[in-house]
Amino acid sequence: MRDGQFESLRLELLRSGVTPVYVERTILELEEHYSDLESAALASGLGPGEAARVARATLGNERAIAAAILVHPQLLTFSTRYPRFAQCLQSAAAIGALPGLPLMFCIEHRPELTRWVAALGLAATLMGSVLATLNWLIVLPRT
Amino acid sequence: MAQTNPPFLTGVPELLVLRMLSGREMYGYEIVKAMRLVTGEAIGFGEGVIYPVLHALEEGGALKARRKSVNGRERVYYMVTTKGKRRLEHLSDEWKRVSTGVNSALNGNGADGDPEHA
Repeated sequence: MRDGQFESLRLELLRSGVTPVYVERTILELEEHYSDLESAALASGLGPGEAARVARATLGNERAIAAAILVHPQLLTFSTRYPRFAQCLQSAAAIGALPGLPLMFCIEHRPELTRWVAALGLAATLMGSVLATLNWLIVLPRT
Repeated sequence: MAQTNPPFLTGVPELLVLRMLSGREMYGYEIVKAMRLVTGEAIGFGEGVIYPVLHALEEGGALKARRKSVNGRERVYYMVTTKGKRRLEHLSDEWKRVSTGVNSALNGNGADGDPEHA
């Protein structure tokens, strides 16, 4: 069996919204089925090229297989079967996730944030020291 | 006719698959071979279309699937569940009812389209 023989079918099914689990299983089963057909054709005395051609023809063309899969809505993903409802759910989930996003950002970028806070603290300390020194130099001699 | 038969024409592959699997568990290639054998190759189809039927039946709870490695080959075996057996009985009854009607029509009853001659 050649690797990736049903790659175009796999991509078409995924693009059409077929559940990935079923896509992978369909491809696996088609590859196995093809191998069985090819072996049977070789055993019947056909040459490798002719056996491959017969196996392919017996299995049927990919467009027909894809069409046969797409008529079963239960094999499609939830968002393909109910696109509007899925969009509403996604929007609600996004709104729900909004308050958590800054926290997630902080956790994800902890090292950078630590450096930033340290730099800010150091800068504030330095600036405070300079201002306090200036204040002391300017104000103190007058008193 | 009092009843309509929307699942009849589309239910033939489903009926055959359930019938083939009612005896023992099989994988796709075996199912197709058995179907060709028992139907005398009367039904022609691209063999790859068997898998959507199997997957839809599995999704509907009529079949159960399990993976088995046999001689280095990864096989997906299917077996009929209790729900599948009930579905098979229902589809078989539907088929017998409709085929009886079709046979009756083919045998000449009401052949001229006049119900009074039926």
